[in-house]
Amino acid sequence: MTGWRATAALSRSLVVGAVGIGLAVLAGEPVLVVLTAPLIMCGAMGLAYRPTRTPRLATRLDHSSLHEGQGTTSRLVLDDADDVEHVTRVAAGAPYVAMHPSNGRLGRMAGHGSADVEVSPRRWGRRLLGEERIGLSTAWAGYRWGPVPMIGDEMRVVPATAPFDSRAEAPQPVGLVGAHRSARVGTGTEFSGIRPFQPGDRLRRIHWRVSVRTDRLHVTTSRAEEDTGVLLVVDALADHGRSEGVDGAASSLDLTVRAAAAIAEHHLRQGDRVALRVIGRGGEQVGYGAGPRHLRVLLGTLAGVRPQELWDGQLDRLRFRTSAGTEVIVLSPMLSEAVATATATLVRRGLPTLVIDTLPPDAVPGVAEGTDPLLADLAWRMRRIEREQVLARLSGLGCPVVEWRGPGTLDDVLRRLARRSQLPRVRIR
Amino acid sequence: MTGWTRGQALLRVLVLAGPLLALYSTALIGSAPAGWLAALTAVLCLAFAAMPESAFGSAAMLLVLAWWGISLRDGLHPEALLAAAGLLMSHVAALLASYGPGDLPVDGAVARTWLRRALLVFLVAPVVWALSAVLRDQPEAPGIWLAGLVAAIAAALVASAAFAVRSPDSGASR
Repeated sequence: MTGWRATAALSRSLVVGAVGIGLAVLAGEPVLVVLTAPLIMCGAMGLAYRPTRTPRLATRLDHSSLHEGQGTTSRLVLDDADDVEHVTRVAAGAPYVAMHPSNGRLGRMAGHGSADVEVSPRRWGRRLLGEERIGLSTAWAGYRWGPVPMIGDEMRVVPATAPFDSRAEAPQPVGLVGAHRSARVGTGTEFSGIRPFQPGDRLRRIHWRVSVRTDRLHVTTSRAEEDTGVLLVVDALADHGRSEGVDGAASSLDLTVRAAAAIAEHHLRQGDRVALRVIGRGGEQVGYGAGPRHLRVLLGTLAGVRPQELWDGQLDRLRFRTSAGTEVIVLSPMLSEAVATATATLVRRGLPTLVIDTLPPDAVPGVAEGTDPLLADLAWRMRRIEREQVLARLSGLGCPVVEWRGPGTLDDVLRRLARRSQLPRVRIR
Repeated sequence: MTGWTRGQALLRVLVLAGPLLALYSTALIGSAPAGWLAALTAVLCLAFAAMPESAFGSAAMLLVLAWWGISLRDGLHPEALLAAAGLLMSHVAALLASYGPGDLPVDGAVARTWLRRALLVFLVAPVVWALSAVLRDQPEAPGIWLAGLVAAIAAALVASAAFAVRSPDSGASR
């Protein structure tokens, strides 16, 4: 409701005051004037500050895109608000958004910039702040504007990049310039071997000690240093477990998205090219790219991930555009046959593929109301047994499966993959 | 009534207690209100405390005024100041409570502002009382009380306009 209206307090003070004065005059009782005089004063002051302007309200977020756990301020912007003395702001709560004041309600004097609410998203994704109702009052509370309903602002919350670092080299780097040791001999710093001098070799690479001993010029060779392509495959078919935001328990999709963000940041920091493919109804994908801008694109895409089953037929069209040497990291709770099949296909193509298991140990299934809990528990246990078999089969194919543990999660498996890539192998196409 | 903050609960107590205090002020002069009247006022005050924007407050205050007019014929006792304070306390507490829902925390700065204002407007009551007491034995001039009240209101308006604090961005005081 917009427009200035007299408040109940103004009405009360004027009614009681007028009746009091009337009774005092009629009955000749000056004591009634004494009783009502302060109320009349309040009413008179309310009338004296009768508003003349039409205020304009808006809310604005200081930051519309931020990491989960970070905070920003939802500001109330008032224009033409010279008549306004008091502001009441009542914001409805929103899932995974912490507010200060905690209940989203505040009543403050206007003009002090204090009608601002601090908000902090506790989980990645698109977060819509709850609807607000804002009321304005004039001096001496004579008139009120509103409460005016305001639609909550939306913010994009990118996943917090969990601490992650890896010292392992990429299994099959095939790029141009990077930080990973290549199997090829080339310009680098890592010693590879000593061989006889050939035309074109740089003189500073001559190994004098061997040359003198053999009476023939020899040069040292080094391994090329290259970047690698990394494809992150994110399973967004379902969300298992309970999500309590950035400070609490993490669901499978929380672990998946946060781990993907951390791995992407790590590889992009190393100069690698990273691509993203989301397995879900949206089918979001981001092509290979490098640099901070590409990281923002990846994080933004991850923030938009929503758990949804695939449409019929989408499963058959599940293809991954990868070139030889691309390191494929599948982040999944591995409860979907489609994801397991796709992973096995990638492994058979000879791509260095590894699976990060993101199923929380205490995950329980979400079942429809009225389902027999014993039946649901039995079904869940059977599902987990099937999952263990899938993981075992993937391991049998040579695809390592690791649980996400933050820093160092991938070191061991990447080293093993790198060693394996040096061995001769049969590639199945 | 659940969901009130501590400040809001305190305000509701003041809303409830104000008219009852004003009503029972006459007991100090030896004229205690009848039980049914006290009960009726208490019920109205309870409703007023629960719904500070309702008309129950006006009804309770008018009952108090009626009792003061009826019980003490031609009486101008200093206890009237206590009653005036009770009515004003209830009015201001209800006003503060009606700024928002029951779980709206009461801001300290707002409460202090209204405490100052309540003290300021309450000063009118002793002035009017003293004026009434001085003029009581004088030959009655028609409209003298109204004239005095109007003068007091005008004075308070001027004083408030001169001393009320304007918002900092305007850079002036009013």
